[in-house]
Amino acid sequence: MASPQQENQPQTGPSMLDALGPGGPYRTRTRQQVADVTGAVVAELSLAPALFVNRTMKALRAAAPLPAADRASALARAAELFRTATLGGLTPGEYEASVSRVSGLPISDVRVATQTCAERVSHSYRSVQLARPAGAVADWRDPLVRSSQAVWTRRGDVLAVHVPGNHPGTHGFWPEALALGYRVAVRPSAREPFTAHRLVLALREAGFGDDQVVLLPCGHQAADALVRGADLAYGGDEIIRQYADDPGVLSLQPGRSKILLTADTEWRDHLDMIVDSVLRHAGSGCVNATAVLVEGDAAPLAGAVAERLAVLPSLPPHDEKARLPVQSVKSARAMERFVLDRAAGTRAWLGGTGFVDELGDGSAVLRPVVHQADSAQAPQLGTEVPFPCVWVAPWSREDGCAALRDTLVLTVVTEDHALVQELIDEPTISNVHVGSHATHWHRPGLPHDGYLGEFLMRSKTVAHV
Amino acid sequence: MRPTDLSILDLPHHADPDPDELVRAAMEWHFHPETGSPFWLERARSLDFDPRADIAGHADLRLFPNVANELRDVPVADLVPRGYGERPDVVGVFESGGTTGAPKRVVCPADWLEKLVGWSNANLDVHGFPRGVDWLGITPSGPHVVGEIFRRSARTHGRYGFQVDLDPRWVKRLVAEGKGGQADAYAEHVVDQAAHILRTQDIGVLTVTPPLLERIAQREELVELVNKKVRAIRWGGTQMDPDTAALYRTEIFPSAVLYGHYGSTMILGIAGQRHGGPPGEPCVFDTFSPYITFQVVDPATGEAVPYGERGQVVMHHVSRALLLPNNLERDTATRVPAPEGRIGDSAADIAPVARFDDEDVIEGVY
Repeated sequence: MASPQQENQPQTGPSMLDALGPGGPYRTRTRQQVADVTGAVVAELSLAPALFVNRTMKALRAAAPLPAADRASALARAAELFRTATLGGLTPGEYEASVSRVSGLPISDVRVATQTCAERVSHSYRSVQLARPAGAVADWRDPLVRSSQAVWTRRGDVLAVHVPGNHPGTHGFWPEALALGYRVAVRPSAREPFTAHRLVLALREAGFGDDQVVLLPCGHQAADALVRGADLAYGGDEIIRQYADDPGVLSLQPGRSKILLTADTEWRDHLDMIVDSVLRHAGSGCVNATAVLVEGDAAPLAGAVAERLAVLPSLPPHDEKARLPVQSVKSARAMERFVLDRAAGTRAWLGGTGFVDELGDGSAVLRPVVHQADSAQAPQLGTEVPFPCVWVAPWSREDGCAALRDTLVLTVVTEDHALVQELIDEPTISNVHVGSHATHWHRPGLPHDGYLGEFLMRSKTVAHV
Repeated sequence: MRPTDLSILDLPHHADPDPDELVRAAMEWHFHPETGSPFWLERARSLDFDPRADIAGHADLRLFPNVANELRDVPVADLVPRGYGERPDVVGVFESGGTTGAPKRVVCPADWLEKLVGWSNANLDVHGFPRGVDWLGITPSGPHVVGEIFRRSARTHGRYGFQVDLDPRWVKRLVAEGKGGQADAYAEHVVDQAAHILRTQDIGVLTVTPPLLERIAQREELVELVNKKVRAIRWGGTQMDPDTAALYRTEIFPSAVLYGHYGSTMILGIAGQRHGGPPGEPCVFDTFSPYITFQVVDPATGEAVPYGERGQVVMHHVSRALLLPNNLERDTATRVPAPEGRIGDSAADIAPVARFDDEDVIEGVY
């Protein structure tokens, strides 16, 4: 096996990423180039036309799911293959290098994501059962049904998954649908299609049929056909956002994750956790802290976070020591204009005059940014961007829970249990971490934004005498 | 040497006239006070050249301005060459799609349509369309020339022509207003009507737009009916990507001939797919040259792009019926050499003018 150093060398020539249809790999003439952060073309992604998508959705609908036990074992096997096997001609190391090159995420972070994703997939049959209501059983042959019982059933047969391309870890959740017997069509992100491709190959090799899980890279028109051809759709791309109000569509929302530290705690004791919440996953996730609110003077905290983040080196993504994300200079500069424009009226502690560090090869590091706003109501606190960029603001009891609404993960460090109760009761806060748990902390079996199973399933009465 | 004998304008469709002679004769016809249209005779006064003296051949057509936009408002009687006489034998007044503002109008004399359909029928023979069968047309009729071409083709190449009406302007308006559900319902209504004809009649040739063919392919019953009855499918009106065409040819309608048209009301006609392209390759469209010619140009300079490169399509129509040079279409295409001995370009891989990527940042990490 090649050493990681060798595997991280740029490869020659673009590879072909085929669509994976019900008849096997499908290579089209219409392809999209997948470029790395320097602009070099790494792969050519076959784009399926709407006609192919429509026919594929029919094939998925006509296919029967695997028996439940087979689904569970196939998922476990797929996770192992995803983690260790050569799939589509790529070893795990080559796969990780490709993801790092095109996404600009540090290679070390991509490696962690491989493990995390494999762990989630491996546990998906078990973890999805945790979403089942206590009153429902999973199978109508359960003896309890003899005395009439709720049975947990699918809301449909076919799920469209439009995967966001911000981080490979986002792929850990949708295989739960396969665990439930859904047939699944995945539209990969054109920015980073490698993870979706690898995962679908792993699932097929593990036992799922070509007509049970498919990969359909496609343009807008065909992506629309994908949503329309499915019973339910889930994900976070530009197509899903258009359908966000449709009850059959679960649209991933910006995380706007936050940390709150009250005056009865010493924020300095939690500085590691705060910095980690901003920086982990190179700041690219919805679970990274977008804002930190502190009861009292925000300036010392902002200064301390800035000091810790300032020392991180600017390195290309394949460097073992890289911790910061890299993008093409063009998109990095666009991001810079956007953030600096948003930051008007705040106090800059880090990156206030710019944060793009060009590496000289067409790519640029997005260096960390820390701003201090003067109020917990400042609109900047909801500005989530895919790199370590944090807004620090003072919080008071008068601001209360209202300043913390619309948050995916809220870490609250406090001794005030009444406040904790209020935050847990707040419907627009999806997850509450009490104490020094980083915002990105997660374990299989715990909901990410509610359980996916809540969207995919319903309970129905089955009386069987 | 100026032509006095204009019979070159009346040659049959297969005659292959010299392009430069044809253009000189057309100048004489369209700009002579006794035969030219009121529109061109008036318009010639503001040209900085004399078409009858200065246009020596096809290459000089570029001297003309693009007057297509003026055809939105001109009274159509002014567009008919006086040489057609007091009671010109006219097939109809036709309008452009109206995608870019108010529709533009042209008048189609009968002699032109006969010549065009003669050329088109010969093309259909090359592609293996059966003669004497019944045709079903699911295409716009109304003000668009394609409906008239369908009826004439069905009557002359086939036997009976069955038509389903289709109003593309209404569909565009529904889509523009975000009423996708209504556009869907309308399209299904159209397909329902076609289904009834397919079930009850012996349809051998289907003329259809690519989006409606996709809807037909969605219904198993209709796929079976088409495979049982239809021996050739002629598509046009919008584009069909080569991957979709390959699926039809290899999987969905493997036994039917698939033949594409690329046309415009503003050229009073169509370009036809070149015969013999392999599945998966973009189809090449050849024009009814020298009457209808394309040039694939760089829109910034107006110069031809190299062969194999993408540019914007400029169309010329030069016949007794109509003079409309330098009509810049909204489409882009790959420039392909015209068939041996033909003037102008052929066009492949036609697509609407691309929108440009902007670098707006969308908030959030997805």
